[in-house]
Parts: sequence; structure tokens; C-alpha cells
Amino acid sequence: MNDERYSNPYVIGILLGLVLLFTFYTMGRGLGSSASFARIGTAGVHWVAPEHAQANPYLSKYLAWGRSPLMDWLVFLTLGAGLGGLFSAFIARRVRGEVARGPSIGVSARLWLALGGGILSGFAARLGRGCTSGQALTGAAELAFGSWVFMFCIFAGAYAAAWFFRKEWL
Amino acid sequence: MGPLYKFGWFDYAYALQLAVLIGFLFGFVLERAGFGNARKLTAIFYLRDFAVLKVMFTAIVVCMLGLLYFSVFGWIDLGRVYLLQTNIWPQIVAGLLLGVGFVMGGYCPTTSVVATVSGKLDGLVFLGGMVIGSVIFAELFPLLAGFYEAGAMGAVTLSDVLGIHSGIVALGACLMAVGAFWLGESLEGRFGDPARLPGGSRRMKLGGAALLVGLGLILAVVNPDRFVSSRPEAQPEAESVEATPRPESAPAAGSDAAAPVPRPAEPPAPAPGGFRILHDEGC
Repeated sequence: MNDERYSNPYVIGILLGLVLLFTFYTMGRGLGSSASFARIGTAGVHWVAPEHAQANPYLSKYLAWGRSPLMDWLVFLTLGAGLGGLFSAFIARRVRGEVARGPSIGVSARLWLALGGGILSGFAARLGRGCTSGQALTGAAELAFGSWVFMFCIFAGAYAAAWFFRKEWL
Repeated sequence: MGPLYKFGWFDYAYALQLAVLIGFLFGFVLERAGFGNARKLTAIFYLRDFAVLKVMFTAIVVCMLGLLYFSVFGWIDLGRVYLLQTNIWPQIVAGLLLGVGFVMGGYCPTTSVVATVSGKLDGLVFLGGMVIGSVIFAELFPLLAGFYEAGAMGAVTLSDVLGIHSGIVALGACLMAVGAFWLGESLEGRFGDPARLPGGSRRMKLGGAALLVGLGLILAVVNPDRFVSSRPEAQPEAESVEATPRPESAPAAGSDAAAPVPRPAEPPAPAPGGFRILHDEGC
């Protein structure tokens, strides 16, 4: 663990706030990422079964533009986030193949839970029209009512479920 | 005047390049904070490390103050910043589910990207799960469509709901952030491992808190809403604005939009092939 080398969270928060402000100033919108994964899913479904994807009222939204569902602003943003994260991890020598988990859980159990959590999050992000960044962070900064409610619900859901997953982390 | 893209300063192709740069900074700061590690992220739910809350609330208040001050100074037209729609019931359910997914999977969508690139296999598995979960949602969408649209309130802000101007809301947000930081620090001081928490001098923290509250207080007195004149007509305008070749020479956007028409609840219909951001999605 390299915890002691992580930056001060308040400094990071200020920097993240400035990145978000820059995004608003240049683009008139905020950050986000979860729609990228919906678009990857759309591209996959479209590749396997194009008619099925076109017929689906939700997926067809991503296909309606006459270009690939991946030619999208958020997909490029997520691509950049991967590059930025890789650069930061690389200069801190934190790029290492591993599975993040608590001391009392096995690798395969942790990976199944990661899959389940991912499925749940992917579903929830579509239902809530965004995730922690696109809905909670972005919306809260512009004082959108639903985003504040959404953000507190994330914390409420996580704290309510934390007891059940304590063996995974502690 | 910002937002630059909405005033036609650059086209969609350049916006995509800018997205990579913004994303790079986004991913960089998240990894710096340690958010590529599920144990660091989930520690907040066991009261051991409140980095998630500190980063998130600091970013929110910094950006919120920035937007409101930019608006007061006339640097940004908040009427042309896309405001997320509120659909209260699906947002409550989705928030709760996302929270469960967070503590179960260890990540939220963006942090799982950062985890994946730094070599975490669980991050990659979480990513795959998100793609699957999105497709499941889409396949179930015919059943969920009614609930998805439930509780539609349009693009409302806290100040609309509470009936107070944005400056007072901003002051409230600053006070809440400072309170949350104080609470988080007391809890992690009690349950966490102080040797592994990043420090920071007490004077800096108190100074920062005073600065936040002070900036909020000024806004509460100034009332930034008086400076937003074009909010009502701005949202469906994106296309025509982008079509304008040299918008700097056009008259100021706010001058012709004094009438307080209610904001449109529906995002504009997508124009095929048009270079425009999809307004339907936050994330």
C-alpha cells in the first residue's frame, strides 16, 4: 500500500472543482463517464444484433445520430480519464496487477462482488441519468435539486449496505 | 463569455479533443487522491477515511462558487450551461442502488476506470459489470419507461425548490461542507488510522473554512440570480447558437431575454447528424 503518498484530499478537491469549472466554462456541461459504458454496451449489442439494437427504445437513442455510438464527447472524456489515471499511477509507481480487497476475502469472491457491484451501478446510473460524477458532482455544483437528492441517496444506500459487505473490506 | 462552445468558439471535433484533455486532468486528480483503490474508496463507509467526502464536497463548493462568481462578473452565461433535469423518484432509487453498488463493487463508474488502468483486476471486472448493467437496463427499458419518467420536475435548482436565491443556497452549501469536513475528520480521527491519513495544518483548514463561508456570505448578500438573465430561453438554443459563425460579434445573449418564461422541461429533440451534445444524460 502506498497510502501515505496519496495527495491531500482538500487539495485534490480544489483541483477537481477547477477542472469541473473549466469544463463548464468551455463546454457548458459537466463531467461524466457512465454513459460511455452504456455506449460500449450499445456498440456491442449493435454489432451482434443490429436490428435488435435499433428496435430498443433506449439503445436506439445512442444510435440515432447516424454515426458510431462511441463517437461521443463522454467517451473521449473517459478515454482521457484512463490516460490521466495511468499517467498519475505510473509516475507514482502504482501500476501493478492486483485485486483491491480486504484481508479476509479471497480473490474470486472479491471479483464476483466487483461484477455484481458493476452490474448494479451500470443499471442504477442509467436509471438515475448519471453517476457519481455526471449526476452527483456535476449537478450538485450547479445546485440541481435532483442531483443533491441523488448524492445523499448514494451515501444512504452505501452506509445502509456497508454492514453486509464488511468482510470484503475490513 | 462562457460557455465557449455554446457561443461557437470551436466545433465538435475540437470539443472531442478538449474532452480528452479534460478527462486526462479528471483521471489524474482522481488517481492522485488514491481513488484507483477500492479499499481507499470504501473506507468512508466504515468511518475510517473520509477522503471521498472531502474531495467531493470541496470540488462541489469550489465549482459552485466559481460558477456563481463567474456569472456575477459576466464571464459565463449560466443560462447556457446545461442544467440536469430532476426526476425525483428514479433518482432516489438509482442513488440508493448506486450506493449499494459502490460498497459492493468498491468503485463508482469513473474511479473504476482509474483503477483499471492502474492494474486493478477488480476495477476491470467492475467496468465489465457496468456495461452489462447498462444493457440490462436498456433491455428492461420498455418495462421501466414509466418509472424512468416519474417525478419529472424539469430543470429545477435547490433555490427554485426552497424559494430562496442561489446566494443563500451557496452559503448553505458552504456551511454544510465545512460541517461535513469537521464531522468526517472527527470520525476518522476516532475510527481511522491517523498515521495513514494525510495531514494538513489546523491553521490552513480553519483559514480555508473561513474563506469558504466568507465567499458564500458575499454571494448571499449579492444575490447572483440577478445576473442570470437568459436562463429561460437558453437551453433549446444550443443548435442555433452553434450555427452562428462569429458569435462574438452578436449582441450579448442576456440582453434580449428578460421575460421570465418557464424553463422547458423536455430536452430538445435530437437533430440527426447535428453536432450537438446529447442533453438527455448527465453521466
